[in-house]
Amino acid sequence: MDEPVVEIRGLVKRYGDLTALGGVDLAIRAGEIFALLGPNGAGKTTLISIVAGLARATAGEVRVLGRDVVRDYRETRRAIGLVPQEINFDPFFTVEEALRFQAGYFGVRLGEARLAELLEVLDLTAKRRASARALSGGMRRRLLVAKALVHEPRILFLDEPTAGVDVELRRSLWAYVRTLRARGTTVVLTTHYLEEAEALADRVGVIDHGRLLLVEETAALLARSGGRSLEEVYVDLVGRRQAVAR
Amino acid sequence: MISLGFRTLLAKEVRRFLRVPGQTLGSPLVQTALYFLVFGWSLGARLRDVDGVPYARFIVPGLVLMGVILNSYLNSASSLFVMKLQGTVIDILVSPLSYAEILGAFVLAAALRGVLVGAITFAVAGAFTGFEVAHPAAALALVALVAVTFAGLGVASAIWAQTFEQVNFFPTFVIMPLTFLGGVFSSVRMLPRPLAVATRLDPIFYMVDGVRAAMLGVSDASPLAAAALVAALAAAALGLAYGLLRSGWRLRG
Repeated sequence: MDEPVVEIRGLVKRYGDLTALGGVDLAIRAGEIFALLGPNGAGKTTLISIVAGLARATAGEVRVLGRDVVRDYRETRRAIGLVPQEINFDPFFTVEEALRFQAGYFGVRLGEARLAELLEVLDLTAKRRASARALSGGMRRRLLVAKALVHEPRILFLDEPTAGVDVELRRSLWAYVRTLRARGTTVVLTTHYLEEAEALADRVGVIDHGRLLLVEETAALLARSGGRSLEEVYVDLVGRRQAVAR
Repeated sequence: MISLGFRTLLAKEVRRFLRVPGQTLGSPLVQTALYFLVFGWSLGARLRDVDGVPYARFIVPGLVLMGVILNSYLNSASSLFVMKLQGTVIDILVSPLSYAEILGAFVLAAALRGVLVGAITFAVAGAFTGFEVAHPAAALALVALVAVTFAGLGVASAIWAQTFEQVNFFPTFVIMPLTFLGGVFSSVRMLPRPLAVATRLDPIFYMVDGVRAAMLGVSDASPLAAAALVAALAAAALGLAYGLLRSGWRLRG
């Protein structure tokens, strides 16, 4: 459980005068569920975007499975699946086509068994031949999850995976995330739902204004917080920092 | 070896334009057929032969190339731009596809659409003017190079563009004027001197003239010089698109 699959050192990202990440160091361990918490604009999406190759760092280094994400991008991207925060879909194609294309981009031929399993797990079997245009918001989000998993990545990044999702789907996604962890997949998720982090995460990290304020085992954090919930600990931590900033 | 990733993106791009054949193949066909009917038949009947070639036949290479140019450009530009707009560009940005594979797939699919439109245009025009082609291999090679050039420019334009208006800027304000000026409907020798000078500065003139030389065996400029220029422009367009793709500008944050 202790070997890092993602190593981030001195990560800085600036957009003009805005510093989105101000020197982040973080190691994600193999096989864990890691929850990255923080208010809007804290730098959560920027951080995982850099690891997944969607954004370029201003300074610092990111290694995935020991390889540099810029120099060895082909190898590192094969190991990563990303569920983006914003729902996107291509109205030209069906659910099955979208999954087959995504697998192909990763050099994977999507077998019937794997396709059927993904559709089943994400409750999309009935929509296999439906256009993505015809899916509900929740279904489109499930399709994004299926696309991220289609090449069986070793590390899965979920950026606000349950935002705007009903309770039933949220619970089923949680269950599937646990299944993935049991199969050895490392899961990194960002979330606004602290209940979600508390229920799922082995470790949590709190980020605000581009700086990591805390990285700790969820159980240990709750144990030393004197019976308070993760939400209370988080509000205390981020609220105190914002008060200092003011 | 051609990777599965490249083949998948190419297949997806080809399937995308085949899904809407009325828009991607039918519409340009109607447009160029109308040009042919108006310029080739209505006006052509009143015009003399050009370099011994009936006017209706003289304009066929230019009309073919006009379809090739516009459709090659529009396919790659609109496909990549819409992916940016929809957010689905993420699908390829997080994948292990190399920059060359991404560019190659977009350019080949767009060039294929351009060549298909060109072939359909030639088939319709040929029904009236005949199907003889002086140098078929050279004609096909030149048409393919022109298609690659504008497909590459389409990729570059889609990366640069942030609005639909910007995507349409290039075909409306650059391609169409240069195409009309580029000898599609006339020989440069038929033009008054200032316009003839302007035409000789227009790169599309050398494309049209080169294809006309290959198809009809008549030309205003040196066919070899035209081929060299078209090859250089294709290399420059691909280089520009590759550089932009690799830089991540307006694609990766």
